[in-house]
Amino acid sequence: MAPPLEGGLTLRWVPNTDWAGLLAAIVIGSAALAFLSPNFLSEFNVYVLLRSVCVGILVAFAQMLTLAVGQMNLAVGALGGMVAILFGGMMEAFGVPLWLAVPLAVAIGVAGGLVNGLLAAHTGINGFIVTLATGSAFTGVNLGLTKSAPFYKMPHALQDFGNGRFGAFPFLLIAPIVVSPLLALFLFRLPAGRRLLAVGGNSEAAALSGVSPANAIVLAHCLSGLLAAIGAVLAVAQLGSAQPLIGSDWLLLSFAAPIIGGTALAGGYVSIFGAILAVLVIALIQNGLVLVNADPYWVQFLLGALIVAAIALNRWRARPIGLGW
Amino acid sequence: MDLAIEHLSKSFPSVRALDDISIHVRAGEIHALMGENGAGKSTLIKIVTGVHKPDSGRLLLDGREAEFASPRDALAAAIGAVHQERNLIPRFSVGENILLEHLPTRNGMVDYPEVHKRARAVLDQLDRGIDTRAEVATLSVAQMQIVEIAKALSLQAKVLLLDEPTASITTHEADALFDVLRRLKARNVAIVFVSHKLEEVLSLCDRVTVLRDGRIAASGEPIANVTRRQLVSFMIGRDERVADIGARNPDRDQAVLELAGLSTSFGHRDVNLTLYRGEILGLYGLVGAGRTELARSILGFGERTGGAIRVRGQAVSIQSMHEALERHRIGYVSEDRKGEGLLLAYPVRDNIAITIWRRIAGALGLITRGAETKAARPFIERLAIRTPSLEAAVANLSGGNQQKVSIAKWLAARTDILIIDEPTVGIDVKTKVEIHELIAGIARDGVSVLLISSEMAEIVTLADRILVLHDFRVVGEVANDHRYETTSAAIMTSIHAVEPAVAGVV
Amino acid sequence: MTEQVLQQPRYRRPFVMGQQAGLLVILIALGALFTAKSPGFLSSFNLFTLGRSLAIDIVIGFSQMVVLATGGMNLSVGSIGVCVVMAGGYFMQVAGLPIPVACALALALGGALGWLNGVTIAKSGINSFVVTLASANLFSGAMLIATKAAPLNALPRSVGAFGQMRVGGGWVSPMLLVAILIGVALAIFYRYSVIGRQSLATGANLRATEMSGVPVGRRIIAAHALSGVLAGVAGLLTVARVGAAMPAAGGQDWLLPSFLGPVVGGASLAGGFVSVGGTILGAALVTTIRSGLLVMGIGNFWLDLFLGLFLLAAVLAQHYRGSVPWRRRSREG
Repeated sequence: MAPPLEGGLTLRWVPNTDWAGLLAAIVIGSAALAFLSPNFLSEFNVYVLLRSVCVGILVAFAQMLTLAVGQMNLAVGALGGMVAILFGGMMEAFGVPLWLAVPLAVAIGVAGGLVNGLLAAHTGINGFIVTLATGSAFTGVNLGLTKSAPFYKMPHALQDFGNGRFGAFPFLLIAPIVVSPLLALFLFRLPAGRRLLAVGGNSEAAALSGVSPANAIVLAHCLSGLLAAIGAVLAVAQLGSAQPLIGSDWLLLSFAAPIIGGTALAGGYVSIFGAILAVLVIALIQNGLVLVNADPYWVQFLLGALIVAAIALNRWRARPIGLGW
Repeated sequence: MDLAIEHLSKSFPSVRALDDISIHVRAGEIHALMGENGAGKSTLIKIVTGVHKPDSGRLLLDGREAEFASPRDALAAAIGAVHQERNLIPRFSVGENILLEHLPTRNGMVDYPEVHKRARAVLDQLDRGIDTRAEVATLSVAQMQIVEIAKALSLQAKVLLLDEPTASITTHEADALFDVLRRLKARNVAIVFVSHKLEEVLSLCDRVTVLRDGRIAASGEPIANVTRRQLVSFMIGRDERVADIGARNPDRDQAVLELAGLSTSFGHRDVNLTLYRGEILGLYGLVGAGRTELARSILGFGERTGGAIRVRGQAVSIQSMHEALERHRIGYVSEDRKGEGLLLAYPVRDNIAITIWRRIAGALGLITRGAETKAARPFIERLAIRTPSLEAAVANLSGGNQQKVSIAKWLAARTDILIIDEPTVGIDVKTKVEIHELIAGIARDGVSVLLISSEMAEIVTLADRILVLHDFRVVGEVANDHRYETTSAAIMTSIHAVEPAVAGVV
Repeated sequence: MTEQVLQQPRYRRPFVMGQQAGLLVILIALGALFTAKSPGFLSSFNLFTLGRSLAIDIVIGFSQMVVLATGGMNLSVGSIGVCVVMAGGYFMQVAGLPIPVACALALALGGALGWLNGVTIAKSGINSFVVTLASANLFSGAMLIATKAAPLNALPRSVGAFGQMRVGGGWVSPMLLVAILIGVALAIFYRYSVIGRQSLATGANLRATEMSGVPVGRRIIAAHALSGVLAGVAGLLTVARVGAAMPAAGGQDWLLPSFLGPVVGGASLAGGFVSVGGTILGAALVTTIRSGLLVMGIGNFWLDLFLGLFLLAAVLAQHYRGSVPWRRRSREG
């Protein structure tokens, strides 16, 4: 890829503190696992590992978009769950063909994000509360429609896509591979993406420069919904059925991955590559614990420790600014 | 383009910021806008740039009425500005910040090579040393200021407003800016230039308008016709504001606060200061001289890198405001009334009693409303705080009465060392006099006051002695004879002595 | 446009009705509706079970409320809760300690975990959201590692008996009394005590409060420690209701209810304003809606939808009455 993607600033492929540590962790961790368990580098295990990060990357991106503009999306998992159910439901109950169901599902995600965005941008109510409320509502739609019963009859094409692989390369991975550069293009090259980050970085300054913070917030929530919806479709493909529980465990990961990857919680700065690596590290931990027969309960603890390490690292390299408090 | 401001008025909840302001800025002139802090300059600029809406009055651009609902409208009308607040996107590059309003694109994508090329061209007029690819967050304050100016220049604006653009840059960089402004002037741009620095205004500008307390004190006077001295008197309203506040009797035998060779992480070097019992010690300095930071380093902010602080003869190392209050009975009236002085949404009662909750608590550490009211009420009367009741939220009071509340809490706490930072910024003249009398009264009761002010008249009115701070050092001590002419001259002399180039600011 | 906040800030004290009167009216109306539709709603058994889950929801709400007061938030309420659940179960069942001692020790653990949050936030200055996001994982993870997610269900009988106990004519659970008692204590704390007042002031304007000589760091730490203890109380109430210590208790399931009660009750996310009475009413509304949907046969599945819409309606209603403290901070003139 010719021009540097990140921010159009300086060339970012030289050691970058956002993700250099994560990359090192992945390399060292992989080496250690390969040493501990010969199975680690087997084609099937690599496939399993890669397959397990696809949904997570999309979920991390969905949250990253709202963080970028200085907002939060607590409804990310609930929206994903609702989209998954409506996606599966429209195919099973109404026989909507797959080629139509996918764009419809994505459209539902955007619509959900639009609701979040309009409420957060135009009522002045904190985005945290707005998405807490809409998240509950989305979950309610999900559970109310399904009564907690999944839709099982998914088209074969979808299931094949979810299970298919080319050697160690899962077909599901195509989605993040396509989405990531598009997201980078949007955030680092397109004026709308730059405006979104500008609002996250300094909302007042952006407004003085003629950018509408409200529009940027609405756009960020819409895109967050879009990415969550893609994540939901991938999750349905991966599971082979539309489970009402899809999305219920996304919330923590959605914050953890971007933050570990170097995205600023306060807005205005994102690291796409960092978020991807963070999801990979988390998957590696899960995979490794299974391989070495360790207690799977360590996953959550290590995730917490990872966040602590990330914020400690962030503070360590932060410059003190201002009068001193 | 020609900018006419007609009968503009603007009020904020607690203060009338602008009162019937009319200014005519001609195309091809540099029009100075002067006035003390809080005179209304920034508010005026924010109205012209569409940030605030005026309550009444109108703007005319080349004779046509213009109404701005947002900054975007003002930008569309080719009005550019350098605002006083930092208005940069911290994690964006210098180049992108400069061109943010009009990023060049190619095939719908931001064309970064072009961004940096154009930004470079604008920046080269001011400072060749800043890399357009550097992240703004990594720049120094002065460099950020240059970037802000470059940002405004890049707009090709027909009306350009600059709010203290030279506050934190070097004279060399300022000279480069002035050259650019003169070239823009030749291209018929209307320029409004806000500055505290008299020399700059006298050498650069064509005409000057002076605001005082939200009103016009001098309207469009040709610079050629005004002297430095006249400008000063326009701004401060002549010497009559040095009121006779009555005699006091500081106890020169009892030093309550001493700084001995104090150096701090803020950059203070070898600061010596002695405050006596019942004295008002004025601490005068220009913006950026390190006044507020000195107060904060006494109160435990920043780090002491050398020297000693003694309170009532004892060497101390105060770590927090809590310790300053509870252990040493030191109070601090912040210059940032709304951010640091008051709980705006809370009632007057809480804001006065907050320092003494612990003291008035009865059994089980519980505070009864009666005890709190009893403790707070006397100060309403003594300070003549105009409030509907003790229960009114302080946000609903006028600026002057808010300031009285923020002083009252320290009187309630019976502090006997009080550091007061810019007590009358943005406060109307009448209340200003009341607050001056109040401070003098406190000192007469035996409280020692360290008065920080950038307002000469205030210092001359109140202080017993004046220390002059410049560039984080004490550059002189002036005995105050309460006459404006002589004392201000003595103060300016001590500043000029160390750095003749920064003449200015009153 | 944004100056309105400054023009009409409203100061509200905990326990002052007014804002809460509206909630009370809605609550009574809903109760009446459910009773009319299904007389079983007011049966003593239903009121008893309602009271038990209400008690837990109230205390979960308090646990979040005390941190909201200082302007922070605590995402680890549920994690601390489940840690206390399992610790309490361990002390009673495995260590065989007397129940009061076991409860006290478990609550001390909750307080310690909260204190850890508080110290980290106050000393590092890192956003409470991130800190408690991390600690929620650490606490839950540590609990799972320690217990291997195995429930402890051979607790002393009196624990479950407390959960089944009925007082006041057979329709009041003593658990509800515990919650109300804590509420009264908190109301006194925020209204009358030095530390409570200082905690609220810290949330209203941290810098101004610090500059008024209040040790704001200690107030933030205390708030988190108190939050931990309250999360622990909610956890122990859960143990009493179920009669066992379940590792699936608490966790993320508490996140929504923890914000729902305080926010519907009028607390400000920005800090400085909380309402004990409002939090109780907010929790009561949640419980009423949940139970009402059940007795009307709509079932639990639509519950989240109603709760979400209700929360949205509540904040919008308060917002457009112009008394909203959680609007974005206004720009100064």
